[in-house]
Amino acid sequence: MIRSAIEHRELIANLVIRELKGRYKSSLLGFLWSLLVPLFMAIIYVVFLRILAGRSVPIEEIIIGVFAWQFTVQSVQGGMTAITANANLVKKVFFPRILLPISSTLANLINFLLTLLVQFAILIALHFLLGIELSWLALAVPLVVVYHAFFNLGLAYLLSACNVYFRDTQHLVGVLISAWFFMSPAMYNLALVEAQAAAHPWVMKVYMLNPMAPVICAYRALVLADVDFPWSVWSMAGLLWPVIFVILSYFGFKRAQRNFADML
Amino acid sequence: MNAIEVRDLKKSYRIRGVAPPTLFGHLRRLVTRRRPDVFHALKGVSFDVPAGKTVGIIGPNGSGKSSTLGLVAGTITPSSGTVRTSGRISSLLELGAGFHPDLTGIENIYLNAAILGIPRARVRQKLERIIDFSGLHDFVQQPVKTYSSGMYVRLGFAVAVEMDPDILLIDEVLAVGDIAFQLKCLDRIREFQRQGKTLLFVSHALQTVEEFCDEVLLIHEGNLVARGDPTDVIMEYIKSYMGEGGQLFTQEFGTRRVEILDVRLRDKEGREAAIFNAGEVLEIEIRYHAKERIEKPIFGYSLKTGNGYYLYGSNTCIMNYPIDAIEGEGVMRLRFDPLKLLHGNFFLSLSIHSWDHAEQFHRREDWYPFSVKNPSEAQGVFALDSSWTLD
Repeated sequence: MIRSAIEHRELIANLVIRELKGRYKSSLLGFLWSLLVPLFMAIIYVVFLRILAGRSVPIEEIIIGVFAWQFTVQSVQGGMTAITANANLVKKVFFPRILLPISSTLANLINFLLTLLVQFAILIALHFLLGIELSWLALAVPLVVVYHAFFNLGLAYLLSACNVYFRDTQHLVGVLISAWFFMSPAMYNLALVEAQAAAHPWVMKVYMLNPMAPVICAYRALVLADVDFPWSVWSMAGLLWPVIFVILSYFGFKRAQRNFADML
Repeated sequence: MNAIEVRDLKKSYRIRGVAPPTLFGHLRRLVTRRRPDVFHALKGVSFDVPAGKTVGIIGPNGSGKSSTLGLVAGTITPSSGTVRTSGRISSLLELGAGFHPDLTGIENIYLNAAILGIPRARVRQKLERIIDFSGLHDFVQQPVKTYSSGMYVRLGFAVAVEMDPDILLIDEVLAVGDIAFQLKCLDRIREFQRQGKTLLFVSHALQTVEEFCDEVLLIHEGNLVARGDPTDVIMEYIKSYMGEGGQLFTQEFGTRRVEILDVRLRDKEGREAAIFNAGEVLEIEIRYHAKERIEKPIFGYSLKTGNGYYLYGSNTCIMNYPIDAIEGEGVMRLRFDPLKLLHGNFFLSLSIHSWDHAEQFHRREDWYPFSVKNPSEAQGVFALDSSWTLD
C-alpha cells in the first residue's frame, strides 16, 4: 500500500488538489469555508448546549470534540463516494483504485490541519479570556492526528467499496453517523457518560470501544491541562482494534476492486 | 516478440435486471436462492499482437470489442484466461477522464496527465505543445465546464497523445472533433506507428481500420470469428453481418413494380468475386423483373466507403443512356473499366425508379459490399485523372 502510494505520489497529489480546489472553486469565500464551517458548528453547539444544559458546559472540550468529529464525518462522506463518483475514471483508466480513497482522506486531512489552526487560535483566545489551562503536551497532537487519519482511511476503504456493491450504503451511513455522533464524546465530555454509567459499569467499558471516544479524549487530554486521558483496558482496546479494522478493510478493498468496473 | 498475449480469455457479467445493486436485492437472492443470469461477453478469445504492429478489432455492436480492450487495459478483471502484456500500456479509451468541471483547462491538463501516468515534469515541458494541439489557447484559463463537448474531447486527446507508452489502446475515439482535428489525430496515430509502438484499436470506421492495421480481428458474440489481412477480414465482416442478408446498415424499399432479383459482381474474366484489383474491370450484373410494362425507367447506383462516406452516385438518365421500356425479366449491366477505386471496402446501392423520380420501384441501400486492393503506390480512396507538366 505504502509502496504504491509513493510510486503514484504525483497522481495522489493531483487528486488531492482536484478535491480541494474543486470543493470551493466557484464559491465567493472559497477555501475560507473549510475554516468557517467547523467554526460555526462549534459556535452553534456551544450556544445551544449552554441554553439547554446551563453554564457548566466546557466550551473548550466541545470545540476540540466537534472539530475532531468533523474530520471523521467528512472523511466518511468523501470516502464513501470515492469510487462511485469517479465511475468513468475507474471504468476507463487503469491505475490503482486504492489511490481514490487515499486521496479523498488526504484531502480531508489537509482540510482538518487547517481547521486545527483555527481551533488553536480559539483555544488561545479562550486561555486569555476565560483562563483555560493549555498543556505543552499539545505538541504531541500530530501523533493523534496521524492515528485519527489512519482510522478514517480504514473507513474510506470499507465504505467506498461497499458503496459500489450496495448503493444503500449512502443512506444507511447517513443514519448511522448521527447515531454515532451521539455515542461519541463530541458535544459533551466524559463526565456526562460517567455520571450516566455510575449504576452500570459495563456501559463505560462498551462506550470506550468506540474508537472515536479514545481519539477525542486523547485530543482533549493533550491540549487541555486539566483533562486526563481515561486510561483503561477498554480505552486501549478502543484504540487498538481499529488497527485490525484498517488492515481488514484494506484487504477487503483489494478483493472487492476486481469487480468495480463491472458494478459501476 | 509479442507485446500482447491473450489466452482463452473469458468474461461474463451477471445480469442484474434493471435495478441497480441494492442490499435488498442481494438479500432476496439469498433467500430465493435464484442463480443470477449470466451474460457471456467473451467466450474464450486468444490472440497475439506482435510488438510494433497495429491490430484492429471489428465486429457488430455488443460483440465484445470494448470488453477485450478493457481486459487488456486492466480496467476489467477477466472471469478466466490470461492477458500478458510487455511494456508500458496506455489507453485512449475515455478522453478527458477525470476532468473536474470547475478546474481550468491548464489545471485539468495536469490532473488528466497524472491519471494517465505522464510525469509532471514532462507535462510542464510539453505544455505549449499540448495547448497548441488542442487549439484552445484562448480558453485554457477557463473552467472546463464552460467548454463545448468538442473542446473537452480535444483537450483530452491533446493530453493523451503525450503519453509515451509501448502499447496504445484506442477505442473509437477518432470520431470526435471537426475534420481538421480528426486529421490531426490520425497523423498522431501514424506518428505512434512510425515510433514502433504497438497499437490495438477498436473502430467501426472500416476504412480507417483498413488503412491503419496490419491485422484485423473479427469478434462476434464473444468469439473470435476471423483474423488476418485487413481487406479479407473486413470483407468477411461486411458479408456476414452487414451486406445482403445481414441486418445491419442495409435497407430496402420501393413499390416493387420492378424488382431487383439478383445481383452479381464480376471481375475481368467474368468470374463472380468480392475482392477486385484497382485498375481492372468490375462488372455488375443486375437481374430485374418488371411485373408490367414500365416506360422510361431509370437505373441508378451509388457508392459509399466502409466509413459510410458517400463517394459517387449516378444513373442512366445523367449518363445519357435512355431506356425505352422494360417488361418481364431482364439483365442490366453496370461496368467500371478501369475501376478507379484504389483501396478499401465499399458499399454499392442500386435503385430502379420512374423517369420523373416520382416512383421508387426498388432501392437496395448499401446492399452490395465489395473490396478493392491496390497494387500500385498511389494513396487514397480513388484515382483521379491527373498529369504533370514541367514548363
